[in-house]
Amino acid sequence: MKALPVALAVIFFIVAALYLIGILQIGVSGEAHGPHVKHAVLFAVLGILSLVWMRFQRTSARPGR
Amino acid sequence: MTWLQAMLLAVLQGASELFPVSSLGHTVLVPALLHWKFDRSEPTFLAFVVALHLGTALALVVFYRSDWTRIGRALGASVVRGSLSDDADERIGWLLVVGTIPVALLGAFLEHPVRRFFGSSALVAGFLILNALVMFAGEALRRRETATASAQPLASLPWAGAVQVGFAQSAALLPGISRSGASIVAGLLLRLTHDDAARYSFLLATPVIVAASLLEIPKLFEPQAHGVLAQSAVGAVVAALTAYASVAFLTRWFHAHDLRPFGWYCLIFGSLALALALAKVIS
Repeated sequence: MKALPVALAVIFFIVAALYLIGILQIGVSGEAHGPHVKHAVLFAVLGILSLVWMRFQRTSARPGR
Repeated sequence: MTWLQAMLLAVLQGASELFPVSSLGHTVLVPALLHWKFDRSEPTFLAFVVALHLGTALALVVFYRSDWTRIGRALGASVVRGSLSDDADERIGWLLVVGTIPVALLGAFLEHPVRRFFGSSALVAGFLILNALVMFAGEALRRRETATASAQPLASLPWAGAVQVGFAQSAALLPGISRSGASIVAGLLLRLTHDDAARYSFLLATPVIVAASLLEIPKLFEPQAHGVLAQSAVGAVVAALTAYASVAFLTRWFHAHDLRPFGWYCLIFGSLALALALAKVIS
C-alpha cells in the first residue's frame, strides 16, 4: 500500500514535466500548442500531495505510534 | 468597453460569484440583455476578467483570514507531524484539500470544451433554470432528511463527502450553474447546516479562484492589455468590495434562511432570458 503514493507522485511529476515542456497536449485548448503551465502546476501539486500521503503512511506504519 | 460597462461588470462579478446565482451565467446573459458586444477571447477583455477574479479572490481571503490562518497552521503541523489528529481546523483543512482536487482536475480539462456553451444565451438561461431546480430539490430533500436525522458539524464530514461537494462545485463550469449553489446543496444533502454548508462552499471556492487568478496574471501584462489597465485596477477594487459585502451578507443570511429565494430569482431571470432568446430578442 505504501508503494501507491510513491507511484502516484512519480507519475504526477512526470506528467507535470511533460505539460511544462509542451510534449503533453491532452485536455488543453485547441489553439495553444506550447507549454501548459496551468496543467503542469496542477499535476505538480498532486505530486506533492502524494508525497504528503506517503509521509502519513510511513508515520502510521511506525510501531508504537 | 466604457467605464460604466466595466464598473457594472465588476459589481456583477463580485456579487454573482458568491451569491448562488452563477457569475458565468450573468456575465453571458446581462451583456446580451443590454446588447453589449464583447469579444470574450480578446486579450483586453480577458485581462479585465482576470483582474475582477483577483479582486473577488482577495475579498474571500480577507473575509476568512482568521479561518485560513488557523487552517494553514493546523495543516502545516499535520504535515510536519506526519499524521492526522482530532483538531477541527486540521480536519477542515484536509477536507478542503480533498474537495479541491475534483474541481481542479475537471476545471483544467473541461474548461475549454464547455466554452462553446457561452455563445448561446438560450442554453445559459436553461442552465440557470436548472440551477434553480437543483436548489429547490436540494432544500426539499434536506427538509425530508432533517425529519429523520440531525445535522452533522463540518469537521465530521467524511472524506467521500468532501469529494462529492468538490464534484458538485465542478458543475459551475457550465455557465448558469452556480458554484456556491451546487456546493451548498451538496453540503446540505450530506447533513451539514446551511451555515456550515455555505462556509465550506466559500472556503472551497477560495483556493480555486485564487489559483485560477494567479495563473492568469501574465494576461494582465500582455501589451494589448495596457489599454484596460486602469479599468482593470478599478474594476478589481470594485469587485473586491462587492464580493466582501456579498460574503458578509450571505454568511449572515444562512444563519436563518435557505436557498429558495435565490432559486426563485434564478427561475424568474432564467425564464425571462430564455423567452427573450427563443424570441430572438437576444442572441
